[in-house]
Amino acid sequence: MIGAGPAGLSAAVEAAEAGMRVAVFDENAGPGGQLFKQIHKFFGSRDQNAMIRGFQIGRNLLARAEAAGVEVFLNAPVMGIYKNHEVLVKIEDESVHFKGDNIIIAAGAAEVMVPFCGWDLPGVMGAGAAQTLMNRHGVLPGRKVLLVGSGNVGLIVGLQLLQAGCELVAVLDAAPRVGGYGVHAAKIARTGVPFLTSTTILEAKGDGKVEKAVIRKVDSRFQVIPGTERELDVDTILMAVGLSPMTQLASCAGCDVEYSDQTGRLSCITVTDEFCETTVAGIYCCGDFRMETAEGASSAILQGQIAASHIAEQAGYITGEECGARIAKCQETLRQMSGGMFSVKNKGRVDPTETDEGYPISRSLLERGYIAEEELQNYPAASYEAEGVHPVIECVQNIPCNPCRDMCARKCILVNGDITNIPLVDQTKKCVGCGLCVANCPGQSIFLIDKTSIPDYAAVSIPYEFLPLPEEGQKGTGLDRSGAPVCDALVMSVKTSPAMDKTAVLTMKVPLKYADSVRFFKAEGGAE
Amino acid sequence: MDITKQRRIQEHPILGSYEKGRVVHFTLDGKDMEGYEGEPIAAALKASGVMTHRYTAKHHKPRGVFCAIGRCTDCVMIVDGIPNTRTCITPLKEGMAVQAQYGVQTKEEWEASQEAKDGE
Repeated sequence: MIGAGPAGLSAAVEAAEAGMRVAVFDENAGPGGQLFKQIHKFFGSRDQNAMIRGFQIGRNLLARAEAAGVEVFLNAPVMGIYKNHEVLVKIEDESVHFKGDNIIIAAGAAEVMVPFCGWDLPGVMGAGAAQTLMNRHGVLPGRKVLLVGSGNVGLIVGLQLLQAGCELVAVLDAAPRVGGYGVHAAKIARTGVPFLTSTTILEAKGDGKVEKAVIRKVDSRFQVIPGTERELDVDTILMAVGLSPMTQLASCAGCDVEYSDQTGRLSCITVTDEFCETTVAGIYCCGDFRMETAEGASSAILQGQIAASHIAEQAGYITGEECGARIAKCQETLRQMSGGMFSVKNKGRVDPTETDEGYPISRSLLERGYIAEEELQNYPAASYEAEGVHPVIECVQNIPCNPCRDMCARKCILVNGDITNIPLVDQTKKCVGCGLCVANCPGQSIFLIDKTSIPDYAAVSIPYEFLPLPEEGQKGTGLDRSGAPVCDALVMSVKTSPAMDKTAVLTMKVPLKYADSVRFFKAEGGAE
Repeated sequence: MDITKQRRIQEHPILGSYEKGRVVHFTLDGKDMEGYEGEPIAAALKASGVMTHRYTAKHHKPRGVFCAIGRCTDCVMIVDGIPNTRTCITPLKEGMAVQAQYGVQTKEEWEASQEAKDGE
């Protein structure tokens, strides 16, 4: 196994539990790949790690690997793979040869770059680099940050910058729409960060380091529109414009590698079959290294299981029947996870007008990162009225996620059929206001609203993952979905619990007429 | 820079406080620096506000951290005399001597080679 990230570790666990002898090589000082810098709650279904934060998924995988007796060699970069499955590894400045009956390459991907003037100035970094610095090492990547690229990686890092205490000046995308999940974008937008779509970066300026960014609007053919330049004062520019698999080891091993544009951008991809096997028998690859679906860690874990099951069957450690059942289960989950509005076939599209259910697509969410108030009526779970406290669900795109359904003990929330379907509220069931749906929605798109318990006022409960945590009785301002101040707000309660896993549920009192507008709280005089 | 004045996250809403090694001293181009043992050299430098890790050989342009996971090699420096050390994945140790890299040389070597060139 080459690479101790989610794909490599899950494959190692699967193979070791089947009774095979497994060695994992990784060039890093610690295992887990990039999982340990993932601090958000994962999307998906409950049996696929949904709602669990990335680093916890990493810890769980490591514990399983240890229990299964997987041997992990750290600080051990693989330098080459040669004929007859010969693997050359650098261990403590020695070149050591290993041989495996089967090899799985799960060496991951590298961030790509778009060139612009000054792109090589210190202060221009990959978004993943910022994530590593702040989440692994507790170091601020910068003070005033511009984020280029609004795919899920960019959006996730954007929120994490705010959580770390950086100022996020804007999120740019050259495309006319936000690339990633609307719910991810909405978390950032409601703190007041602007989304600038159809906008590109022209230049990074500064004396030896980034001091300014020059941005400009582009037309529908990505040509810059003269006279639209703006200069932004920033000290850091983060690029979240895609990942590219590190295919070098596959090439070295003699596997066929081809150029592909299936992800919307020309990338070098290793040719594999449905079992993740390359064109060289006994050599497999999975995860971001294989990047068929580019679904990140969850997909990587499943691909690792598929490759390892296939190997175990080929080597006689599990029966063909068992292997078939395991692989079918993984493939069905992969199919569901890669469906919906953000599937490979729908990626970046701006033409769809309706969701799978026939609701109109929120244009505002795509163009500005938040749902416009007048669009809410299009979505039943976001716009119904009810007596007392009740969940309002502003999750309006077909994305593969359904833990809200399982979190509600009262069964108020339904996700019928496919996992990509938009949640609905069963109004015959009575919400008790526990807040578990609010805290555990990975998209932070569920709010509790109560318009009837306090005369002339409404109680609005929101998910809150920032410090300092506001306190009961604290005064502040209610912000709308775009982060614009709307009205005074008073904190009625701030609830935290182990079941909410670090996401607080903040309940604030706002004038009744703003109940459908206010979605964020800004403490008086303080930062968000 | 005194470690308490560095650009570090004191408390994080999700991660709480960070597990760190002991405070160690190292030098950057002879200047005294502080960081935590075991963290990448690049993290300690970033926390102290250091942006430039090296200058390119041909155009003498500054470069700093780009990928932070050992892929891009933009952050390489001379560490304890060894050039091309990837500072983003090399753990910091007490007493390390870190130097900005000019091409693949130290500043002194580079300046000497420039003078030699000018003399030709």
